[in-house]
Amino acid sequence: MSAPVLCASEVSMVFGGLVALDSVSLELHSGQIVGLIGPNGAGKTTFFNCLTGLYVPTKGRVELSGSVLPKDPAKVTVAGIARTFQNIRLFPSMTALENVLVGRHIRTKQGPLSTLLHGPSFRHGERAARSRAQELLAFVGLSTVHDELARNLPYGDQRRLEIARALATEPTVLLLDEPTAGMNPQETEATRQLIFAIRDTGVSVVVIEHDTKFIFSLCDRVSVLVQGRLLVQGSPEEVRGDPRVIEAYLGKPPEEVAEIVEEAENE
Amino acid sequence: MNRLWTVLSGLGFAVAAMMPWVTFALNDGNYPAKSTLQFFDAPFLLTGFRLHLLVIGLLVVLFTFLPLPGRPRILRAAGWAGGLISLVNGAYITFKGGGLGAITAADGKVAFAAFVGVAAGALLIWSGAKAAPGIEFSWPERPSRWLAYLALLVSFAGLLLFVAAILTSGGGITNPYSAGQFMSFLAMAAGLIAALGATGVLRWIGELSEQHRYFSLLVMLGCALGLPFTSAGNEYWMTVAVNIGVYAATAIGLNIVVGLAGLLDLGYVAFMGIGAFVAANLSGAAAAAFDIHLPFIFAAIAAALVAGVFGAIVGSPTLRVRGDYLAIVTMAFGEIFVRSSQNNIGGLTGGSNAIPGIPPLELFGTGFQESISIGGYKLAGGVLYYVLIVLLVALVMGVFANLKDSRIGRAWIAIREDEDAARAMGIQTGRAKILAFLIGATLAGLAGAVFAHKTSSVSYESFRFTESVTLLAAVILGGMGTIPGAVLGASLLFVLPETLREFQDYRLMLFGLALVLIMRFRPQGLVADRHRRAELTTVDDPVEVAAR
Ligand SMILES: Nc1ncnc2c1ncn2[C@@H]1O[C@H](COP(=O)(O)OP(=O)(O)OP(=O)(O)O)[C@@H](O)[C@H]1O
Ligand SMILES: [Mg+2]
Repeated sequence: MSAPVLCASEVSMVFGGLVALDSVSLELHSGQIVGLIGPNGAGKTTFFNCLTGLYVPTKGRVELSGSVLPKDPAKVTVAGIARTFQNIRLFPSMTALENVLVGRHIRTKQGPLSTLLHGPSFRHGERAARSRAQELLAFVGLSTVHDELARNLPYGDQRRLEIARALATEPTVLLLDEPTAGMNPQETEATRQLIFAIRDTGVSVVVIEHDTKFIFSLCDRVSVLVQGRLLVQGSPEEVRGDPRVIEAYLGKPPEEVAEIVEEAENE
Repeated sequence: MNRLWTVLSGLGFAVAAMMPWVTFALNDGNYPAKSTLQFFDAPFLLTGFRLHLLVIGLLVVLFTFLPLPGRPRILRAAGWAGGLISLVNGAYITFKGGGLGAITAADGKVAFAAFVGVAAGALLIWSGAKAAPGIEFSWPERPSRWLAYLALLVSFAGLLLFVAAILTSGGGITNPYSAGQFMSFLAMAAGLIAALGATGVLRWIGELSEQHRYFSLLVMLGCALGLPFTSAGNEYWMTVAVNIGVYAATAIGLNIVVGLAGLLDLGYVAFMGIGAFVAANLSGAAAAAFDIHLPFIFAAIAAALVAGVFGAIVGSPTLRVRGDYLAIVTMAFGEIFVRSSQNNIGGLTGGSNAIPGIPPLELFGTGFQESISIGGYKLAGGVLYYVLIVLLVALVMGVFANLKDSRIGRAWIAIREDEDAARAMGIQTGRAKILAFLIGATLAGLAGAVFAHKTSSVSYESFRFTESVTLLAAVILGGMGTIPGAVLGASLLFVLPETLREFQDYRLMLFGLALVLIMRFRPQGLVADRHRRAELTTVDDPVEVAAR
């Protein structure tokens, strides 16, 4: 297999005394959809934050297409990782279109001077950005609401708008943090199709989700995170059949989960 | 049944207009020239506010039976206007006459008009809300180009006359009742605007002017340049208008920092001060630190640049501090500026002596303060300053508009909305924030340069904390993130003190009261940003809230 696009090796994150991530490694190959599951507080979001430069990992390194990622979230985005947030973080009083246009920021160039002069090159760039943003809205199925304020959109639309905004940065890797949280079954299915469509455009995707059925039917590989440690990693079939996953995932009290993890390590 | 109440309140206004308002001649001077009695007392002499009241009353009766679009809101607006006019005049007479006897009964004279008017207003505000809504009517969304041009021309010309009328409504400083008349006129104007807003025509014009941006800019410029030809075209109002313009330009600059980028700057007026001092020192004034006299254009550019550099310096802590802390840093900067210019540090500010004797601007040998004539029409002195400031405000508006709807402007708004998310979008938030400070300060510096020449003397006293706060209040009051808002806010906060001279002692209290009321009832400001308006109206709409 070719070299992975995204390679996180032995990433650890410690908050004070709390070990949120303990040597977590993950490889994402081009054109793959990788799922990340685990009980609440397992460290999934923390892992995303480490990948995107929001947190600086205590240990470990993250490489994108072979080069180490910068420590600044803005530069990580420029390098090609885009994300959505578990608790939606759109720009609430901007319209849907403007939200996506903000996503175009790093792929457009107009500086202060050309903005002040509003010359032909500025207007050309602005037109291009707008039409690209419209395309992206259409791609996620939101073209009719481009003029609505983000805050007034229904919940499901907000999640899809966040995806469109992330795609506007032209990422090679897209990180989705619980993209179907709060969605009804139809919307969830639409999101599944949307993620496939994104994969088909050549973007590799990492998805965090609690809905295991959704994950198993979507992903090429699945990693299970429990209490900051990687419990199991493999194809959906392997992970689904693994008794440790079933136990960990059925909401055992933390002590028992810890025992399970220890047992697994002793094997 | 409800119609009965609205008709009654309309008639109430008409009756109040014809009743006597005061029981004795207010002691303002010799009868009849300066006596209030005639103005407030003569029955059936319907001038000034009494005419307004009568017209409002008759219109209310008419509207009760005309199925106008937005009728309940129009009636309510009329109720507020009539009620406020009555209240303002009643309060004014009480204030001047030294007690309630002035507007009730005294010395065998009876005057209850103010009470009738206020009661009619209250009745109308209450009953108007329940009036049957009129017919549905929607303004054409994309009218033909010529219709749009016509509508814009008419409305901006109307705006010009309206502004002139408001300015001159007090009859200038020579009229002893100017403050009362002015406030009363303001109440009428507010009612008129609210009523027009209720019909949706204001929003329509706003959309048209957005669709035809360049045309409306041109028309607006033309109308602004037309002001000297109206009744407001005398030296006094030209001076007031220039002052407004200086603060409006500065407020628009501040609007970039506060309204777009969401950075609270409490020392902003210092940048205007820096610009003013730079221009003063390069003006060839005797007290200037340098013995050079640069042409104004270069002095202005230097002022803008220096202010911009300081803006970037002050902005740099924004990389580290956020929110409240930033406000404190900017406040400290403002204070440093005031103290160091007070103590004449570096010999650049003249300290408490100020820098006096800055020569007025000149163009082809004509001083800007002189009066000029165009084609035989003699224009008041100071017109050239007015023209200059109109051009400056237009320039600043252009800068703001071009920035707002651009990659940079969206980055600022994104930072305002959610700084972390903005960074996750790849925006270099630090650089963007410094840029906002830099551009805002540059514009303030430019305004300061004009200010220096117009006032001919620059002292640190013009750039204290109160001025920064007033500017901030102008931006918030007018409407954050909008151009007309900043201009309107600056006009109100810097014109009212002129017209309300009589109330010197109460001025700040009135300001404070007005601010509190506006923030309570119209938190989005007088002219709301499209975004903020939508945001706030949907929150107010219980159906939508429930649906979410
Ligand atoms: N900035 C922080 N400071 C301190 N502790 C943190 C911080 N961020 C996360 N944590 C802790 O790290 C642990 C993992 O949190 P994280 O949000 O990554 O879990 P998660 O797997 O995303 O859970 P969920 O499924 O609920 O989203 C939690 O115990 C959390 O309290
Ligand atoms: Mg999480």
